[in-house]
Amino acid sequence: MDTLHHVAHSQRMKSRQKRSAIEPSLVTVVDDDESVRESLPDLLREFGFAARAFSSAEEFLASHCVGETRCLILDIAMPGMSGPELQQELKLRRRDIPIVFITGQRDETVRPRALEQGAVECLFKPFSDTALLEALTLALRVD
Amino acid sequence: MTTQSVTPNGAWTDFQGVRCDGTAANTATTDLISILDTVEVPIVVLRRDFMLVWFNKPAADVLRFSPSDIGRASRDISVLAGFPRLEEQCSEVIASGVESRADFRDGDKWFVMRISPYTQGDRQVTGTVLTFTNVTAFRASIDQVVYERECTKAILDTVADPLVVLSADQRIQSGNRAFYTMFLELASLLTQLKEMLAGSHAFQPVEVDHVFPGEGQRRLILDARPLSLPGHSERRVLVTFQDITARKQAETANDLRAIAERKEELRRSEAFLAEAQRLSLTGSFSWRVTTDEIKWSQQLYRIYEFDQGMPVTLELIRTRVHPEDLTLYEKMVEEARNGGHDFEWQYRLLMPDHSIKFLHAVAHATRDQDGQLEYIASIQDVTGRRLSEEARDRARSELAKVAGLMSLGTLAASIAHEINQPLSGIVTNASICQRMLAAAPPNIDGALETARRTIRDANRASEVIARLRALFSRKDTATESVDLNEATREVMALSLSGLQRNQVVVRAELAEDLPSVTGDRVQLQQVILNLLRNASDAMSTVDDRPRELLIRTERDEDDRVRVSVKDMGVGFQPQAADRLFEAFYTTKNDGMGIGLSVSRSIIEAHRGRLWAKANDGPGATFSFSIPCRSAGITGDSHRSVQMPCVTDAA
Repeated sequence: MDTLHHVAHSQRMKSRQKRSAIEPSLVTVVDDDESVRESLPDLLREFGFAARAFSSAEEFLASHCVGETRCLILDIAMPGMSGPELQQELKLRRRDIPIVFITGQRDETVRPRALEQGAVECLFKPFSDTALLEALTLALRVD
Repeated sequence: MTTQSVTPNGAWTDFQGVRCDGTAANTATTDLISILDTVEVPIVVLRRDFMLVWFNKPAADVLRFSPSDIGRASRDISVLAGFPRLEEQCSEVIASGVESRADFRDGDKWFVMRISPYTQGDRQVTGTVLTFTNVTAFRASIDQVVYERECTKAILDTVADPLVVLSADQRIQSGNRAFYTMFLELASLLTQLKEMLAGSHAFQPVEVDHVFPGEGQRRLILDARPLSLPGHSERRVLVTFQDITARKQAETANDLRAIAERKEELRRSEAFLAEAQRLSLTGSFSWRVTTDEIKWSQQLYRIYEFDQGMPVTLELIRTRVHPEDLTLYEKMVEEARNGGHDFEWQYRLLMPDHSIKFLHAVAHATRDQDGQLEYIASIQDVTGRRLSEEARDRARSELAKVAGLMSLGTLAASIAHEINQPLSGIVTNASICQRMLAAAPPNIDGALETARRTIRDANRASEVIARLRALFSRKDTATESVDLNEATREVMALSLSGLQRNQVVVRAELAEDLPSVTGDRVQLQQVILNLLRNASDAMSTVDDRPRELLIRTERDEDDRVRVSVKDMGVGFQPQAADRLFEAFYTTKNDGMGIGLSVSRSIIEAHRGRLWAKANDGPGATFSFSIPCRSAGITGDSHRSVQMPCVTDAA
């Protein structure tokens, strides 16, 4: 039931994206973990979004996707620039992209700190597709 | 010399007439006057109205009456004018007919003046006769007697020996001052006796000193009691004297001995204090805030390396304070001046040879008799302790590094991260797979691909677990003989400062005859460390009771050794008891919920048991028990100790 409901929901999203704009909204994933980079874009496309994945914050900043990204799914702990550092960097560049943090560290202090800094949501891995969809809905509504 | 004109009646006329005309008609009268002139006593006659009518020759010679005074009122005669009450007294004598006497002074002469009624033939009192008896010599002799008596009394009073004059019936007639002093105011003694006899007061015993011939000075207690004797109306008093000289002397000797002992005691404790200060490197001082008067103990001079006896001022102390602590020092002085509270602080000294001393000061605020603020403080040189603490901390971190004694929290966090990554992939891929299969038409190829990825991620997670297993199964350190008392003491020593920071008081009850166990010392220490940290964390919010932690080792039944850690913390709900050891179950904000899970794995790998119990009072007790070395474990079974698989519980 749950799954069917979500499928129906994502179908509606997909058709709405197609109707409202020529291009579906781009959701970008930045995570150093390969399995996340591999699986998450597929799920996002299932939801009806366009999706890109980068293995580091630096790589993302160097790409052409920064301006097009409507929502950023961002890992907190990464080698090099961390998720929160990227958030600061984007603020400095006046790129107001809604951010959903994802993290494997179940540290309860992380979430309030992230929200305080303007993140839409902070999800602890492993998270369900439902939780992710709710966070994205929220992020794009804000947008 | 005539007074005739002023003599109103015949009798006086006759009297005068005889004298004036000198006829032989009244020879008897003339003779009488001659006689009266020859007595040495001045005689003066006054009329009822106090007018002078006659005086004899001695009155003229001695008291300087002159013939012109005849007929004058007494108040107009100079010699009588000095006696103002004369008229009054004369009136009384005339009225009563009874003679009276008075002292009469004329220059340096003293007379007794006798005022007698003057009667004539018909017995009618018509005036007064004043006779003056010269008592000057007598009076002088009386003065002399009084003077002599006073002198004698003064002399007697200055004599230290009590002197007393008794009457024939042994009644005291008089006594000198020494007598009265020695027998404590006889007057009040007598008053007391009277009061006692009257039944109004009981007699208060009095102490008196008395020197007895041949006995020397004795101290006596004088007591008295009334006696009522049957059949006798006469009342008697029993007076007792108790000689307390010996007792007094003993008391005095005791007092002197006690004083001497106290002095000796004081001297000893002073010496003691000085020695204690020297040994404990603790000095003391007092500081009178209003006057800035500072007194230092010898040891404080040694600590500050000032010359003994050098006058100490706040400015002088300041010269030794480490530059980085000067602000603190000044703040403390300022606060102490205003505060009047006890305070405690640590600061450093920079000595002339550039060495640094760490001092710990504790000051107690007090008020002197005048209500002025004064601090009594002790200052301890904790340099040695500080240095050894620092050395210990260094050794501790090195030890932690060397022994790989990574805190379980950190370990757990990295384990969780390692596992959560593939888990995240598994969940996401499975979601996609589901969606692809549910779509119309189903995306079979996509579903197969995601299922493949799911399997791959699951294998990855399994690899993480295998790595963890390897981490806990370092075979080279797995089996050794471990003294759990020693292991516990080491863990306590390592975590003591952390526990103290959390204001936890640690009590240890380590069984003396504890058999050793077989196992991995570092892993068992990790378990103990974890239990201590949990106990400490459980008490971090406790403020209404002491944060007390009891760690106990004991011999358990079936040849097992038990270690338990009891806290006074928040405890846990009974229904949570089973979940406590599940991985990722946590009540802490910053915890991963993996420490107890790993701990249980470690203990189970040692063929032991780890469990939790809520205390009867507040808090919880976590215990583990493992078989001791002699419990039939062979060399082979050492190696067969199963190392934990953390994810089993997850």
